Amino acid sequence: MDEVRMVREAYAEPAPPTAREIARARALLNDPPRRPVRWQWWGLGSVVAAGAAAVMAISLAGGGATGKPGGPATTTSLDARGAVLAAAYNAERQPLGKYWYSNSLDGQAYIMRAKTGTYAITAATSESFSWFGVKAGMGEAYLARDLPAHPQTSRDTELWRKAGSPTSFHVWSNDHYYTYPGKVSAKWRSSGPEVGSNPHGGGKFLVDMTTEELQNLPTDPRALAAKFLDMSGSGKSDPASKAMGIRAGKMPPAALARMRIARVGGLLNGAPMPPKVRAGLMRALAEQPGIHAIGRATDALGRTGVALASDERPVTVTGEWGGPKAERGTYRSRAVIIFDERTGGLLAEQEELTTPGGPYSEMKPGFIINYVAARASNWTDTKPSPPAERPFH
Amino acid sequence: MTGDPPPHPAERFDEVFDAYFAEIHRYAAKRLGQDAAADIAAQTFLEAFRQRRRYDPDRAGVRTWLYGIATKVIGKHQRSETRALRAKARLGPGRDGGEHAERVEARVSAQGLRGELAGAIAALPQGQRDVLLLVALADLSHDEIAAALGIPYGTVGSRLNRARTTLRKALGGTNPMLTLEEQHG
Repeated sequence: MDEVRMVREAYAEPAPPTAREIARARALLNDPPRRPVRWQWWGLGSVVAAGAAAVMAISLAGGGATGKPGGPATTTSLDARGAVLAAAYNAERQPLGKYWYSNSLDGQAYIMRAKTGTYAITAATSESFSWFGVKAGMGEAYLARDLPAHPQTSRDTELWRKAGSPTSFHVWSNDHYYTYPGKVSAKWRSSGPEVGSNPHGGGKFLVDMTTEELQNLPTDPRALAAKFLDMSGSGKSDPASKAMGIRAGKMPPAALARMRIARVGGLLNGAPMPPKVRAGLMRALAEQPGIHAIGRATDALGRTGVALASDERPVTVTGEWGGPKAERGTYRSRAVIIFDERTGGLLAEQEELTTPGGPYSEMKPGFIINYVAARASNWTDTKPSPPAERPFH
Repeated sequence: MTGDPPPHPAERFDEVFDAYFAEIHRYAAKRLGQDAAADIAAQTFLEAFRQRRRYDPDRAGVRTWLYGIATKVIGKHQRSETRALRAKARLGPGRDGGEHAERVEARVSAQGLRGELAGAIAALPQGQRDVLLLVALADLSHDEIAAALGIPYGTVGSRLNRARTTLRKALGGTNPMLTLEEQHG
């Protein structure tokens, strides 16, 4: 009998904090009570005795502290309780922050067939950093940088060293050969193709919804599915989902499942979803046909989370555009989406090998073929700037 | 998030908040109930914010440090915790039956804990309960618990053993051999 396990399993999973609760807690930090407060039961709405600790009534509006040892928190002076309620009222009306940013990276696997042994690298890797003011007029910006091609796992690194630690990688990419550099500048680009800034932008995010629209989203999984996962092009789905659906035409269920995974990944990566909406989206996705809970999965950055996946589908490399014979053949893979177990945040969306074949004949099931990894996203009160440090070394 | 060095509370407290608020909230909700969780978590981070310059990374990780503060905050409300646990123990699963019990059960703050176990946990001395729940709910190691609660390493082990023995006895199904091993081990 493992008592610790029994205890752990006996406690049911509570609901996560709401956006308001988080905002309220943050507001306390930004504007803490002026005097040191002995622990009181703030209990806005629920009044519970404070236990053995003496409760001192503090007048937060000024003046001296009036001591009232013992007794329940309801003996706090009206000023103090009123001040707390006022702070909470204000916190609820504050935006959750002034700016929101999203930092993610994507990569593609390539197979290096060296004489000293085959190994896998990640290349065509780029990192993006976008930020948005919470209101229109506060600005928005999109930045990007390339990341160096590098061996995937420590085993791949060993084999890369055996192969002479090459600093560039010549690989077949779709329909042509390309050389990916192993060393690139770590500088972020803010001008050029697909990047830029708009000092008058803001108020909407990568997914084209305002802060208010996001806060007003339904939290019920069925309503969220109708809005975002109905790819039929009819009904109440939002324009972006309709566009995805219509573009795809009539799709077999397996393909629909993959598109839904991509849609949810895009939503979670692209906007500050309220926690309950996030949870609702995850549940909505899990209930779709052709999507299964697969337990734990690890992303390209080595982070483990809980995952949903589509059914596997075959891909055949015919070599009709050229390329090495070694890459020809059929493999099977599936789309996987991974969530942080503790926060429910999105970790990554990736294509995983299920049946080796074609270019991935020498790889094992679970091998990451390509991915988008969410590195960080958050609210902040100062203008965000991208991280100097690379996501991997 | 990816192998970057962890944010230091004195320098990047907002990152500390973002990384751990939900987790501390979850711990507080399990111990004191859903209604209390947000306030307890807020108090924890307010206190952590005040102490942030005193945080010493050599003594404990940020997560451990926060769990220590949260446990102390929860400790100030131990009467609510034990009262709720005992109420749950009296009700048990459907023992009183009927609507009334369910309504009361819904108001009780302990989250769906089975009756006997709830009572046994409530009956533990606070020090043992804290150690037990930091192992069970926060997955802290003995080292981390010692740092979080400011107690000697050996004390963590002895409190955990006593708590487990108490629970085992309270739940019946004692295996005398196991008890003997505990005593001599």
